Amino acid sequence: MPEIRVTPLGAGQDVGRSCILVSIGGKNVMLDCGMHMGYNDDRRFPDFSYITRNGRLTDFLDCVIISHFHLDHCGALPYFSEMVGYDGPIYMTHPTQAICPILLEDYRKIAVDKKGEANFFTSQMIKDCMKKVVAVRLHQTVQVDEELQIKAYYAGHVLGAAMFQIKVGSESVVYTGDYNMTPDRHLGAAWIDKCRPNLLITESTYATTIRDSKRCRERDFLKKVHETVERGGKVLIPVFALGRAQELCILLETFWERMNLKAPIYFSTGLTEKANHYYKLFITWTNQKIRKTFVQRNMFEFKHIKAFDRAFADNPGPMVVFATPGMLHAGQSLQIFRKWAGNEKNMVIMPGYCVQGTVGHKILSGQRKLEMEGRQVLEIRMQVEYIQGLLPDAKKPRLLHGTLIMKDSNFRLVSSEQALKELGLAEHQLRFTCRVHLHDSRKEQETAARVYSHLKSLLKDHCVQHLPDGSVTVESILIQAAAHSEDPGTKVLLVSWTYQDEELGSYLTSLLKKGLPPAPSGGS
Amino acid sequence: MESAEDWLVESLRLYQDFHAFDLPGATRVLEWIGDKGVFVAGYEKLKKNEILHLTLPPRLSVKENQGLFPERDFKVCHGGFSDRSIFDLKHVPDTRLLVTSGLPGCYLQVWQIAEDSDVIEAVRTIAVHEKEGSLWPRIAIFSSVAPGVLHGARLSGLKVVDLESQKVTYTSGVSDSEELSSLQVLDADTFAFCCTSGRLGLVDTRQKWAPAENVSPSPGAGGGRWCAEVRGQGPGPSIASLCSDGLLCLLDPRDLCHPVRSVRCPVSTPSPDPELLRVTWAPGLDSCLAISGFDGTVQVYDVTSLDGMEGHVEPLFTHRGHVFLDDHGTGAAPLVTTHTWHPRKPRTLLSAASDASVHVWDWVDLRVSR
Repeated sequence: MPEIRVTPLGAGQDVGRSCILVSIGGKNVMLDCGMHMGYNDDRRFPDFSYITRNGRLTDFLDCVIISHFHLDHCGALPYFSEMVGYDGPIYMTHPTQAICPILLEDYRKIAVDKKGEANFFTSQMIKDCMKKVVAVRLHQTVQVDEELQIKAYYAGHVLGAAMFQIKVGSESVVYTGDYNMTPDRHLGAAWIDKCRPNLLITESTYATTIRDSKRCRERDFLKKVHETVERGGKVLIPVFALGRAQELCILLETFWERMNLKAPIYFSTGLTEKANHYYKLFITWTNQKIRKTFVQRNMFEFKHIKAFDRAFADNPGPMVVFATPGMLHAGQSLQIFRKWAGNEKNMVIMPGYCVQGTVGHKILSGQRKLEMEGRQVLEIRMQVEYIQGLLPDAKKPRLLHGTLIMKDSNFRLVSSEQALKELGLAEHQLRFTCRVHLHDSRKEQETAARVYSHLKSLLKDHCVQHLPDGSVTVESILIQAAAHSEDPGTKVLLVSWTYQDEELGSYLTSLLKKGLPPAPSGGS
Repeated sequence: MESAEDWLVESLRLYQDFHAFDLPGATRVLEWIGDKGVFVAGYEKLKKNEILHLTLPPRLSVKENQGLFPERDFKVCHGGFSDRSIFDLKHVPDTRLLVTSGLPGCYLQVWQIAEDSDVIEAVRTIAVHEKEGSLWPRIAIFSSVAPGVLHGARLSGLKVVDLESQKVTYTSGVSDSEELSSLQVLDADTFAFCCTSGRLGLVDTRQKWAPAENVSPSPGAGGGRWCAEVRGQGPGPSIASLCSDGLLCLLDPRDLCHPVRSVRCPVSTPSPDPELLRVTWAPGLDSCLAISGFDGTVQVYDVTSLDGMEGHVEPLFTHRGHVFLDDHGTGAAPLVTTHTWHPRKPRTLLSAASDASVHVWDWVDLRVSR
C-alpha cells in the first residue's frame, strides 16, 4: 500500500499562499510557495514552521516545484529560500523562470516603497533565490535524484503554467496547479498523458460555483468600452505587462474590426516590448492561432492598436489606453489616471487584483477623493469598473461540506471528524504567526506581563492566561514576547493562532498594534 | 467559431444582459425558489443524476445594471443525487420539500433540503397506481397549510395526495385514459389540465368532475402533441396552447371551444422531441409569452400584435444563444429543454438546452425607441 502524505501549508479551503507538502516513497516535495495577497503581515506566507521543526529545510526537502508565476503560487519563494533558508533545487518551466522575478520585484517595490513594509525580502534575495532554479521543458522527465522523477505538462491558464507528475518507483502524484480545460484567445487547454497516479491534487476554487462563461465577461467588457467611447469618453485599462493585456488587446482588435470603429486604441510602449519579448521567446507555449498570426507578423502589430505617447493623453475625443502598472500605484497608468479622473464621461477598468495601499485598491473600495503627493486632492468622477478575476480577500475559513473518503472500494461523503476517525489520521493544525512591534525597553518577560494585564482587562469574555514560561494565551491564541535583534528599545510580539481562530487572531493583532497602555510606575 | 464571435457582437445590441453557464449535466427543469434561487436536475438514463439548488448570480439582483458588477456566477447551495431521470420538479412553497417525477418507475419522489448541511435527501415516495412503461406523472402543488400534490399521467389517474398524511384528498374519478401533458394549479380549489391531444380543461376540486373544457380537439391538430399554460392575471385571453406542428392558440377560459386566435409560429417542425414543448406567459409583461422545444431557440411573442386565423407571425424576439454558443461543434445542434421567466425582472428569462447550457438573458424590445 503506497504511503503518500499530503500536508497543505496554505491554500487549504482558501485562495492564496498555495503550498503543499507531499511525502512520497520517502521523498519530500514542496508544491508551490505562494503568498496570500489579502494579508499585510506574516500571515501572507505559508506555515513553514511545520517543516522547520524537523531540522534544516535543505536536508528535509528533496525539491520545490513552482507551477506558474502568479504570486499566490510563487510569492513566498524568496522569503522561503533566503530568509527561512533552503538551498535545494527549485523546479519550474522556462517562462515561469523568466517572468517570476519580474513579478516578485514589482511586488517587492510596492510592498516596501508604497507600504513601508519591514521584514520583506530584498532584490538581492530574489536574485539569489532564482539562482537555485532549474528550468524544465514540457514532457521532459527530470531525474531529481535516483528515485525521484518529475515531469511537467501544459496547463493553459497563464504563459508557462504547468501541471506536474511526481514519481517515486511505482507511486505517483499529479499536481495540477491552476489550469484551464478550455483554450482561450492566447493559450491552449491543459493536457496530460493518460496515467494512473495514486493521488491527484487539483485546485477546486470553483467547485461549488457555476461560472459565467468567459465570453459573457468579454461581452460586458466590450459593452462598457463601447458605451464610453460612443459618448466621447476615454477608457483607461491598467494592466500588468504580462497576463490579461494580450487577451484584451486581441479582443478589442477583433471588436473594432467588426464594428468598424474609429476611436484610437493605444498600448504603452513598455508593455509592447516586454510582452513581445516574452511571447516571442515562448511562442511554443501559446495557442495555435497565435502561433499562426505570429509567423505572419509581430504579435502586437495590430491594425487598430498603436504605441502610446504621453502627449496623446491630452488629445480630445474618445480613446482606449492600455498602460502599466496594473494597480495604478505609479508610472504611466497613474499619470493618465490623474488627467482623466475628473471627467465623468471617462472610465477606468481594473482587470486584476489590487494590493492594499495602491490607488487601484482605493478606488475599487469606493474612495472618490484621493490624497496625492503634495497634499493635492484628486476628485474621481470617472466610472470605476472591475473585471472579475479572483479577489483573494482575507476571509474566515469556510465550513467543509464534507470529506469524500474511499474505503473498501466504496466512496462515502462524511464529516471531516468522521473521516479522520475512520482513516486513523491525526488532525494537523496550521498555525499562522504575526509580528507586532512595540516600543518597550524593558525585558521580554515584563512586556509579556503588560500584554497579559492589558488583554485581561479588555477581553472579559475570553479566557486570558499568563503561562509560567512567560507567554500569554487568549483561547487558543499564543502570544510571546521576544527581543528585537537590532533595537533594544523594541520588542517583537509573536502572535500565533490556528486557522480556525482567524477572526479572534486578527482582532487581537489589530488590538496589540494600537500599543499598550503605559505601565504603572515601579515596573509591571 | 467565427459565427459565435459575430453573434456575441450582435448580442450587444439585442440584449441588455446576457450570461451563459455550463451545468455539470443537462436539465429539463428550471424551478424557482423565491426569486433568487432555481432548481435544476439531470435526466440521464444510465447514471445518477444531480439535483442542484443554485443561487442566482448576485448581479441579477442589483436594481440597475451595475456594470461589471463582479458577482456573476451561480453558486451551488444544495445538492442531491437521484437514481433515475428527473423530468419534472416542483418546490412546495414555504417548505423545504421538493417533489420530482421521472423514469423508470411510476412514482413520485419527495425530497428534503437539509437545514444544517447542503444535502438534498430523498425522504419518501408517493405511489402512483398506474404502472406505465414510458409515461411519467405530471405534478403541480396545491400550496396551503397542508400542501397537496396533484399528479397523474392520464386523466383517469388524476389525484391530489396530502403531502403529510399521504392520504388521497381528490380523484378525478373518470375512466378517460387520455394522456396528460401539463397540470397547473390556479388557486386553492382549481387547476387546469392539458392533454397531449390538445384537450384542455379547468377543474374545480370542490365539485365532482365537471371541468370547463373543450371536448373537440383544436383545429389543425393533425396528430401533433399539445401543451398549455394559463396566465395568472392581465387583459385578454389567458390560456395559451401550443402544438408540436407550430400552431399556437389563445383561448378565453369562458369559451374553451373557440380559440380567440390561432397562429402558426415560424418554427422548424415537427419538433424533434414534442415532450419538451413549452409555452409560458411573462409574469411581468402584459401580453408576452415565450415558446420553446422545437430547436435551439426560444421565441417571444406579443400576443396583441398577432394576426388573425392562420396568419403568419414573427416573434418579437428570438434567443439564439444556444445555437451559436454551442461549443460542441459536430453532432446534433442543441435543443432547448425548458425555459422560464424571472419572477421580478420583466424581460429576463432563463433557458436550458440539451448540451447542459443554461442562459440568463434580458432581451431588448427593439420596438421601443431609445
